Amino acid sequence: MGASYLAVGWNRQKKIYDWLIFAFCVLYLATFVVLTAIFNPDYTFETVLIRATSTLAVIILHVTLSIGPLTRINKKFLPLLYNRRHLGVSMFCIILVHGSFSILQFHSLGNVNPFVSLFTSNTHFGSLADFPFQALGFFALIIFFLMAITSHDFWLHNLSPKVWKTLHMFVYLAYFLVVMHVMLGVIQYETNPVFIIIMLIGAFTLIALHLIAGTREVNKDDVIYKLKQDGYVLVCDVKDIEEDRAKMFCLDTERIAVYKTGGKLFAVNNVCKHQNGPLGEGKVIDGCITCPWHGYQYLPQNGQSPPPFKEKVSTYDVKLEGTHVWLNPKAYAEGTERPGAVISVVNAE
Amino acid sequence: MNNEEFYIGWMGKAPKSFAAWIRKYLIVLLPVIIVLGVLLALSQKKFGTGTFEFGTLTEVKGIYFNKPVPTIKVVDGKDIWGNENYITVPLIGFGKHGADGVIADLEKEKNISFEGKEITLKGTLLYNDGKLLMQVDANDKPLVNVSGANINSVGLQKIKELGIIDVKGEIVDPKCFFGVMKPGEGKPHKDCAIRCILGGMPPVLKVTDEKGNQNYYLIVGANGEKMNEAVQDYVATPVEINARAVAYGDWVVLYVHPNGLQHYSYIREHFSTSIASCMAACIK
Ligand code: HEM
Ligand code: FES
Repeated sequence: MGASYLAVGWNRQKKIYDWLIFAFCVLYLATFVVLTAIFNPDYTFETVLIRATSTLAVIILHVTLSIGPLTRINKKFLPLLYNRRHLGVSMFCIILVHGSFSILQFHSLGNVNPFVSLFTSNTHFGSLADFPFQALGFFALIIFFLMAITSHDFWLHNLSPKVWKTLHMFVYLAYFLVVMHVMLGVIQYETNPVFIIIMLIGAFTLIALHLIAGTREVNKDDVIYKLKQDGYVLVCDVKDIEEDRAKMFCLDTERIAVYKTGGKLFAVNNVCKHQNGPLGEGKVIDGCITCPWHGYQYLPQNGQSPPPFKEKVSTYDVKLEGTHVWLNPKAYAEGTERPGAVISVVNAE
Repeated sequence: MNNEEFYIGWMGKAPKSFAAWIRKYLIVLLPVIIVLGVLLALSQKKFGTGTFEFGTLTEVKGIYFNKPVPTIKVVDGKDIWGNENYITVPLIGFGKHGADGVIADLEKEKNISFEGKEITLKGTLLYNDGKLLMQVDANDKPLVNVSGANINSVGLQKIKELGIIDVKGEIVDPKCFFGVMKPGEGKPHKDCAIRCILGGMPPVLKVTDEKGNQNYYLIVGANGEKMNEAVQDYVATPVEINARAVAYGDWVVLYVHPNGLQHYSYIREHFSTSIASCMAACIK
């Protein structure tokens, strides 16, 4: 579904999503600012703004990074995934306020350019206690900036999904930079352990979610299929697959989705061309395999997106013996038409 | 999963079971966000009481001295013996700059030296913890009046030698610390303090005694020369200073001995002998 960004407007779900982000942000900012003003009345406007926005952004960052593993643990989280980039862009806008105000407050009106000041004021790069933590924040901000401006599908297509995905994996580096930015910065000044405890809980939760989701996938991938003949591997029974749905099998480290639709079985590569979504967890809609993540579509028989789109995935041979489904892990070139396997009435029973 | 229930983002509406699940998630997320806001807001260290009278210009009349740092001595009532009391108001510049440049420009413009003369300046006051400072900014047209003749300033500085002292503390820039920024000290503020001091703000040593009271010292080199660049690596971190202390009325100035400024480590001071003996034992 190349150029799907043309077709997708700001539908009802997107609007709800954006309103929710907005409402949660306003609620958090109001809580932080009002409580600071009441209980810490000697505040300055700049500091409250710098802190309210930075802490909010870190919370959004945690929410955003947890969506991936959550959806892999439970499909019901999928509605959070579809517009995840809106969270990312909102987070960037909020942290831009923090970064700009910090540079204004701590580096402007001095004897050198603020950006020169950022890197030349504190030069204790070899010390933990004195480390120039603001530089870490700066590099994290650059990563978030690159991600935010390339978040649109336009860039996904222009950069190629592989480059795009790689770029967006840098979010984990950015996350690490942010944690260090906080640990080597304000944490060294504060005497109350609450902030550091919250940061640690956040980091542990994210790591745990990723590990749980990861081991589940690895377990699925580690299933060993013993019966093999003529390059085919016995993978399951035809009744194990629901109509218009698929099952995913990992053979020779290739993930393959076997779909049952219209009385036939078809096998295609499991990895969606958009953002590597799991096609095996999709559904056949209007005759097309539909990716569960963002709805890219492919024809089951040849792995091609219906025109005018140009995405293609590899196809595979699948055959039926009795009710046994046999799959050949040798991939055909992307978009190659395969006949599939006809499910006779006998098989189906 | 029910075969009927399949979610795709571009659908106008999520299937019921998905929508219900997300609603539950949001109901959990909402209090979490509020609790985080409360905890993070309340866990912040209390801000200092410093005040910067941003936008308010005040005229102050006093005797100007350029050394050890630019200050004016302002009459502040009389003591019980009828002698005039003076408070010392260090001058600082706009943004992250010292006052030296502005004063030098004004002296050039008037073609006289202000040293020891009575002068009226207009600027922005900042104060905290018993110390008063004034920002003089060229844009505020700070020079209101300067007397023609020298005032008899002998004795006015109330110079008193306090001897050689060793003190531990943190170097701060007085503008941020005494008024402009919260916090104007410590790690989060380190870069800014360095930038202010490199911009000509006189470095100040903040010393906290056992009772938690704070004392402040202006720091200059052994011969009264500026130490702004020399302190760069020592700002906003624990330091110990060995210096000749001289009181100029209500401000004490430290004339730091060569090598008299060192990083200070509590661990090194209290445990270095035990660490050394332990290491010696290990090597044996
Ligand atoms: C140009 C980039 C940045 C600069 C110059 C910068 C600067 C600073 C400074 C000076 C502080 C201490 C402020 C204080 O006194 O409380 C701070 C704190 C913090 N920063 Fe950044 N930062 C930058 C980017 C970021 C980014 C990208 C994030 C994360 C998304 C972030 C998150 C935080 C957090 C959570 C704190 C602790 C809370 C606070 O004190 O505000 N910063 N940053
Ligand atoms: S549609 Fe986005 S990953 Fe498949």
